[in-house]
Amino acid sequence: MRIARRSFLLGTGAALVAPRLGFAGVETLIDSPALAAKVAAGGLPPLSERLPKSPRLIEVAAMGRAPGRHGGTMRMLMGDQRDIRMMTIYGYTRLVVYDDKLELAPDLLESFEVERGRVFTLRLRAGHRWSDGHPFTAEDFRYWWEDVANNKRLSPGGPPQAMLISGQPCRFEILDELTLRYTWAEPNPVFLPAVAGAQPLYIAMPAHYLKQFHQRYAGKEELEQKIKSARVKDWGSLHERFSRQYRPENPDLPTLDPWRNTTSIPAERFTFVRNPYFHRIDENGRQLPYVDEVTLTIGSSALIPAKTAAGDADLQARYLRFEDYTFLKGAAKRMNFEVKLWKRAEGASFALMPNLNAIDPTWRDLNRDVRYRRALSLAINRRDINRVIYFGLAKESGNTALPESPLYDAALAQLNMTPDLAEANRLLDEIGLSKRDGEKIRLFPDGRRLEFTIETAGASTEETDILDLIKQDFIAIGIKIHPRSSQLDVFRRRILAGQTIMSGWTGMDNALVAAEMEPDALAPTSPAQFNWPRWGQYFESGGREGEEPTIQEAKELVELYRSWRHSTTHEERREIWQTMLKINAEQLFTIGVVNATLQPIVIAKALRNVPDNGLYSFEPGAFFGRYMPDTFWFEGK
Amino acid sequence: MLKYIFKRILVMIPTLFVTSVLIFTVINLPEGDYFETMVAEMQAQGEKADMSRVEFLKKEYGFDKPPAERYFWWVTGLLRGDMGYSFEYQLPVRDIVGDRLLLTMVVSFFTIIFTWIVAFPIGIYSATHQYSWGDYGLTFIGMLGLAIPHFLLALIFLYFANVWFGTSIGGLVDPQYLNQPMSWAKFKSVLEHLWIPVIIIGAGGTAGMIRKLRANLLDELQKQYYVTARAKGLPPGKALRKYPLRMALNFFISDIGDILPSIVSGAEIVAIVLSLQTTGPLLIRALQSQDMYLAGSFLMFLSFLTVIGVLISDIALAILDPRIRLQGTATK
Repeated sequence: MRIARRSFLLGTGAALVAPRLGFAGVETLIDSPALAAKVAAGGLPPLSERLPKSPRLIEVAAMGRAPGRHGGTMRMLMGDQRDIRMMTIYGYTRLVVYDDKLELAPDLLESFEVERGRVFTLRLRAGHRWSDGHPFTAEDFRYWWEDVANNKRLSPGGPPQAMLISGQPCRFEILDELTLRYTWAEPNPVFLPAVAGAQPLYIAMPAHYLKQFHQRYAGKEELEQKIKSARVKDWGSLHERFSRQYRPENPDLPTLDPWRNTTSIPAERFTFVRNPYFHRIDENGRQLPYVDEVTLTIGSSALIPAKTAAGDADLQARYLRFEDYTFLKGAAKRMNFEVKLWKRAEGASFALMPNLNAIDPTWRDLNRDVRYRRALSLAINRRDINRVIYFGLAKESGNTALPESPLYDAALAQLNMTPDLAEANRLLDEIGLSKRDGEKIRLFPDGRRLEFTIETAGASTEETDILDLIKQDFIAIGIKIHPRSSQLDVFRRRILAGQTIMSGWTGMDNALVAAEMEPDALAPTSPAQFNWPRWGQYFESGGREGEEPTIQEAKELVELYRSWRHSTTHEERREIWQTMLKINAEQLFTIGVVNATLQPIVIAKALRNVPDNGLYSFEPGAFFGRYMPDTFWFEGK
Repeated sequence: MLKYIFKRILVMIPTLFVTSVLIFTVINLPEGDYFETMVAEMQAQGEKADMSRVEFLKKEYGFDKPPAERYFWWVTGLLRGDMGYSFEYQLPVRDIVGDRLLLTMVVSFFTIIFTWIVAFPIGIYSATHQYSWGDYGLTFIGMLGLAIPHFLLALIFLYFANVWFGTSIGGLVDPQYLNQPMSWAKFKSVLEHLWIPVIIIGAGGTAGMIRKLRANLLDELQKQYYVTARAKGLPPGKALRKYPLRMALNFFISDIGDILPSIVSGAEIVAIVLSLQTTGPLLIRALQSQDMYLAGSFLMFLSFLTVIGVLISDIALAILDPRIRLQGTATK
């Protein structure tokens, strides 16, 4: 039934071609048939008036894909209402975006300039409009900076971290209606990556819409009325509720994304429709996105593999795991979809995290001994793990950059990764753990056995399966471990409190790194880093909580990270990154096991342009985002 | 009688008070709060949580205040009909629950009817034909329904409904009808999906009811008055309906107390497996993520219904069976 409607849309589509005056190689503009009736009725201006003067031209054929046609509904399944933020991620429309070489390129912006790493001039596209047709101008940036980021009620903590360098905010200037300048006293390499992130820093908001909720602009009585009907506490809560851009729950909030939400919460199914003012076109003059409508059906996440197998999704990766692959592949024969395998882009799909902040002094000192960490790494038989759990399809590697990253170093990825039991035993003897008991388990000088629990968050059986294999490897060098899975919150709290000696978790979230990205994952910067949570907490809280790092290499990493935050040139940043990767690989603060594991992607047979091979990651790929779902399209029957 | 009812209503007040304290305490027992859970979840997928924002939210919802104060705030809110605010949905609790209540009631209503329709005839039959093949056979089927875990039954039903009838997996309607106003097509779609949860949830209750009815009825059937009635020539059907069946129904009336809350809460586990848009999954999810006002207010709502239900069944019992004494001390 769905397909029938799709082909109907395609059938009527060809007639709607509007002439366009001289524009870079594109003679004519083609509007989506879905909007034709509205344009004809005068409810919407013709396409030529809706696009910016210089839309962003996406040469689909040059990307090795087929230019498409308009129409269709793309169905996806989500496990939670909050998942509608996936549309912001998949849509991946930012002021600047990472291009296929992981370099920053203008997207919403027409261009940007950076001087000495500290003066950023951003230029908007003339005639660019929000999804409600109101112009997108410097005023939207001013509104955010003056009335949101620097408003005591809306941002009690002041402007976000990426806007501060050494605690100092930037100077914000409007050069003209379309040109803005942000100036810091020192270089700020975080600014553009933050704006380009999968979870972006929004520095512009639709001022014309949001002013009605802002104390400074709205009439007092009107505001009272709105606070009352929305049943919120005050105007601040009101503004916060209606201005969420990352999680687009407010259907009235104008957006610049390819699709805009039309469903208000709570709902079981969200319908996103095309943004008639979207700024990208293909080489044939067709406005993107090709697909008119995207629906997200919310259900319990455990049922999503089954529902996907029943053909309920046109594009699905979220909530599918590698273990579902055979099942999906079997169903694919029956239903109308294909299953592709993309590579996941974590530094390690699974890594051991020795807790350097464990409370028990004996274990803490042992964890802090690099020889011990090296011995553990040398004892793990990664090839067996890869073969048993991943059918040999993953890659045995340390927790470091992936080969696709410009910072990849093959030697670092393999450092201490080849099993060598003799060397591992030698290292442990050297530490002074040479005594063993009747079971051949090593003993501490005080007589305790080298026996401990490795905890996981219990998200999947995959982790415990890996640990069961590692258990055998460790017994061979006289160490006994007990894998134990718990629940994410408990897991996290125990680690931070130092009750956990070692945990199992994924490595760097983003291993597709480039010099321009923040190297925060490589230094103790956050309590969410399970190998040194309290050092991370110390950094994040500015020394108010946690502990100061004590070992030399960790201090050095913090210093390197700080110097990256003040770096000016690409070369400088690249060098810092390389040093940090090197220290991490040599020191094995996290012991990676395998990476580049596979992510099943389910794609409807009629859906075109989804790459066969891709990298699946939140940052910087924005999952599908970097492959531009606005260029995906349905082939009619 | 009026005095009795009045007293019973007065007793409800301390009961509900104690319940509310218990609910609040239990929800607050796990360490941390909703915001920490949220941060953990975001970090688990690589997103960053703005810690200053979390601090801001905590303050906004009074998490910097002592629990006693928060309790007071919550309970007085409930008295005014304000069920609080759900952090997860970022909406007032009332708005979230309201939407799901209707569907839950539909499912529960049909389930109860289903249970009765199946259990009554079987119960009566097996009591009047004790130890016959029919008694054993039907009881066995009822027991199967009780013995097989509901979630397993749900998965099996889902699979076959999808493969044989093409019913979409999970949910109570086909996806295209979600968020649409009720229409004939939507109603048909609901009916198409409804039988699965109704049979699964009903299956368990059926066995219990069969056993209770059979046992109670067997007791009555051996009593003098029934034997006499039969001996005097009353036809078996009429004799059964007129006396022993009525007597055997006491348990049924006292069950009404439990029916009210179960109508609005639905069967949680089955609802989760089947991904029904009922209140059950909502409650469990709220408890998991420590979305405390959503969970707490909803539990309070259920307790309130239980108390009312018990009151109704007490009154009904007293009316139905004069042998039940209202006050133990009054008649010695």
